[in-house]
Amino acid sequence: MVDLSQYLPILLFLGVAIVLSTAFVVLPMVAAQFTGANKPNPDKLAEYECGFPAFEDSRAQFDVRFYLVAILFIIFDLEAAFLYPWAVSLKEIGWTGWLAMMTFLAELVLGFVYAWKKGALEWE
Amino acid sequence: MIQTIAFYLFATLLIASGALTILARNPVHSVLWLILAFFNAAGLMVLVGAEFIAMLLVIVYVGAVAVLFLFVVMMLDIDFAELRAGLARYLPFGMVLALVLLCEMVFAVGAWRAGGVDLGHRLGATPADVPNIEAIGTLLYTRYLYIFEGAGLVLLVAMIGAIVLTHRARSGVRPQNVAAQNRRRPEDAIRKVNQPVGQGVEL
Repeated sequence: MVDLSQYLPILLFLGVAIVLSTAFVVLPMVAAQFTGANKPNPDKLAEYECGFPAFEDSRAQFDVRFYLVAILFIIFDLEAAFLYPWAVSLKEIGWTGWLAMMTFLAELVLGFVYAWKKGALEWE
Repeated sequence: MIQTIAFYLFATLLIASGALTILARNPVHSVLWLILAFFNAAGLMVLVGAEFIAMLLVIVYVGAVAVLFLFVVMMLDIDFAELRAGLARYLPFGMVLALVLLCEMVFAVGAWRAGGVDLGHRLGATPADVPNIEAIGTLLYTRYLYIFEGAGLVLLVAMIGAIVLTHRARSGVRPQNVAAQNRRRPEDAIRKVNQPVGQGVEL
């Protein structure tokens, strides 16, 4: 069973991070409320000199090649995730487990060689 | 005590970010809320003792799946006005789907209350003396060997499928040829010429 007390420092760090980030966001707003005058008008909020009204949405369509890179990343990420329990329990599972993982890796190396030879890893 | 507080913190944030995932107007914001939901789910997994699942949530879901979702969202050319206009048309179908999901949840909770399925108890009982990542490892690579290798094959098919579907050989590009670069010697590229005065250079 898991000893949860060893996660307590992480939880404390999380709390400190939340408190600090909230403070950094909220405190300047509070300070601005008390020190500055907040009287916006349409001219003040308009684009000034160098700026210009946006022509279109800032969201541009991505190239499909990003998707290929992400898929390849997911697959090798999963491969790495499978390696963790294997490495921890290698003593119990012995040669069977070792061979199982080597077969698994060989399957993915096959895909890797295919991707490399097809030029899927190259950008241009 | 601390565990209870942490549970309610993670659970509340999980439900809130899950609700915001479907309520956010901008799909990119939806994906960001989804990432927050994944993080909180990882926290819950740590609380129930499934450390490996928590690690997988952070590494695979936050690190890779969320990035894939972002790319998909950015790749689709979504017209938001058109998207919202279809709500009335798709509402009945969506309600039917929601109803089915609700029924399934009710049945699942009912079945769980009725005593659970025996299949889960045979091997699923966590050994108390080893960490559960080790318990997973001892089962996955020996008893469930075929399923594990099958997972590898599924990944292989996914990789090849993605390459076949999205990869185009682009013409007109001149990629770097590392082997040719390394093969090239100074003698191939440099010529020493004793140039006589008053004559043109031969190139």
